[in-house]
Amino acid sequence: MTTTTGAPPRRNIPVALARGFLTGGVTGGSLAVLVVGVVLEKVPLLLAGPGIPVVYGLLLSLAGAPRRAREAAVVPRTALAVIESRDAAASKVSDVPVRFELTVVPDDGPAFRVGFTQDVHDTDLPDYRPHGVVVVRYPPDRPWLVRIVKRPTPEWEERAAAARLDPAPDATRFSEPPEVRGVGFLGLLGLLLAAAAVVLLFRADLFDRKAATPPPSATPTVSSTWSTTVVSAGSGTVVLDAGRSFLDQGELRRSVEALTGERESRQAITVVVQENLLSVVFSPAGAAAPDFDPLTLPYDRIPALVEEARTTLGVHAPQTWRLTADAVTGPLTVRIGVTGPEGSAALEADGQGRVLRRTTAH
Amino acid sequence: MDWHRILLLWCGAFGLLALVGYGRSLAGVTRAQRTVRVTGRIERVREPRNGGSERDGIAVVVRFRDPSTGEEFTVTNDGDRGDRITTAWVGREVGIRYPPGRAHAYRFSDDLQDGRRGLGRPTFAVFLVYCGLVALAAIDWGWPWALVASGAPCAVLTAFHLPGERDRGRSRLDVLTAATPVPGRVIAVLRTVTTDEDGDLRTRRAPVVSFTTHEGTAVTAYYPSDLPDTAVSYGQELTVHYSPADPAVFTPDLAAERRSEGKSLGCAVTALVVTAAVAVAGVVLLLVLPA
Repeated sequence: MTTTTGAPPRRNIPVALARGFLTGGVTGGSLAVLVVGVVLEKVPLLLAGPGIPVVYGLLLSLAGAPRRAREAAVVPRTALAVIESRDAAASKVSDVPVRFELTVVPDDGPAFRVGFTQDVHDTDLPDYRPHGVVVVRYPPDRPWLVRIVKRPTPEWEERAAAARLDPAPDATRFSEPPEVRGVGFLGLLGLLLAAAAVVLLFRADLFDRKAATPPPSATPTVSSTWSTTVVSAGSGTVVLDAGRSFLDQGELRRSVEALTGERESRQAITVVVQENLLSVVFSPAGAAAPDFDPLTLPYDRIPALVEEARTTLGVHAPQTWRLTADAVTGPLTVRIGVTGPEGSAALEADGQGRVLRRTTAH
Repeated sequence: MDWHRILLLWCGAFGLLALVGYGRSLAGVTRAQRTVRVTGRIERVREPRNGGSERDGIAVVVRFRDPSTGEEFTVTNDGDRGDRITTAWVGREVGIRYPPGRAHAYRFSDDLQDGRRGLGRPTFAVFLVYCGLVALAAIDWGWPWALVASGAPCAVLTAFHLPGERDRGRSRLDVLTAATPVPGRVIAVLRTVTTDEDGDLRTRRAPVVSFTTHEGTAVTAYYPSDLPDTAVSYGQELTVHYSPADPAVFTPDLAAERRSEGKSLGCAVTALVVTAAVAVAGVVLLLVLPA
């Protein structure tokens, strides 16, 4: 086989660009999928995050297998070469990267020039002086991958010792095919597009997450406020849509959980419930206020207690009811007041929902 | 998170890979089974330069014949050529392997029989399946099962191999002690300076010993890696004990060799005790902890 000099083979530009875009896309997409998986706590996404690049890498490896097999089957060629120049970088490590400029003189082809960098141990550097003859090895189809043989066979060692080689003109230089321009830009573009596409795909889950936590049929309007007054007090309010009531099954507990869910301390001073309005006054941080955990209210008993207050306390057509829970007097106390044409009546229960006191309408 | 499903998927995937691997091995189509394995012979040994690279091994010229074509090849251990040659003498046999039809891609091998059937990867896949099953058992039946399942097999394997290793070590020491020693010399101290992940410089050094056996074999070898060599210096004279049957079995410091043998036996016994204790602790916890 004869080595031909001249222009190096061109890289396949569309394939290189497509690969750059795909690699960027897979990187951005998989990272975004992983982050979305962590935020949404979805196992399939958590698995897909690292899984996508693994599968892509496997596919890329499979696609490159024929080329690698073809390249591995090429028998490397050994030849003599003369060192035109040598540039050793300053290095603290023992293997110094050295930039060589060589004229390679194959036995069966024209001489050519080539430049490359190879690590040389610092004690071996004197062996590679300019104008010295060395033995090199290179794949005939990719001469720019030439490497100096540091331990040649005795036959080549003798040939190198006896050889006198002339430098080749610079026009015969072989160099690696240049990188395709724009691959980096397309990779970045793919990365951003894929990441944006993943976020857009899961936008509903990502951005409506808080509203979607309770069942959609009972979605309350949540307005949680945090006051930055001197006493650092906080409060939360939930207003239910018209037609819904806190006496509906599980409604009150869900709404209180929605208000306390993301707070560091959920201790409250007062919980007030009126038909479709819930108001919680939270305990200021560090204050020794008589507070309680609003989640310990006897939620299962509350509808029955309200019903009892509306029907048994002498108010025959109650217009409104109001539940107040606090621990001002020591233990948690739930007061339910009803108001009607006959006046007002009230019922008092303990933390377990047991009725302690009844005040009938006058 | 549904860990059950993930672990089952893990076990299933690696189980499938293991089956494919064992099937390929049975069919004789693994890369390891197709690899050509021949024995070459060292024709020349070059004396290393003091301060030279520790990575490249002893420079040798080796001749081997490709069994399919009958063609003879003369090669050297230049660059990345498989196992590093650390002990060499003219006439020594060395293992060489390469893909069929690609003698130019030769690699040196310390043990030609190693990995001959290509079962390494499927066996590793089985190990991963076992790890998955242990995790499943730990989740379903209680975490002490993880102690039992990891400690018990290690203890059994260590106990199984310990007597053989001890006998091998003893017989090796007996051979070295019985042999008449020969004078040796440190002909080079090789070194490689690299940077670690923190950017700090790290120097690896390897003294090279040369001695001539009573049979006239000139051996050039790296100082045994399991012996302390920080005090060994260039030009130092040594007394070398070696096995006449195989000069690659040698020691320039018999006392250190004995200490090293005792230390490795101690390590194996400690490993046995620790792994057995882990397994026993697991069993005890299973009995004590409420279900």
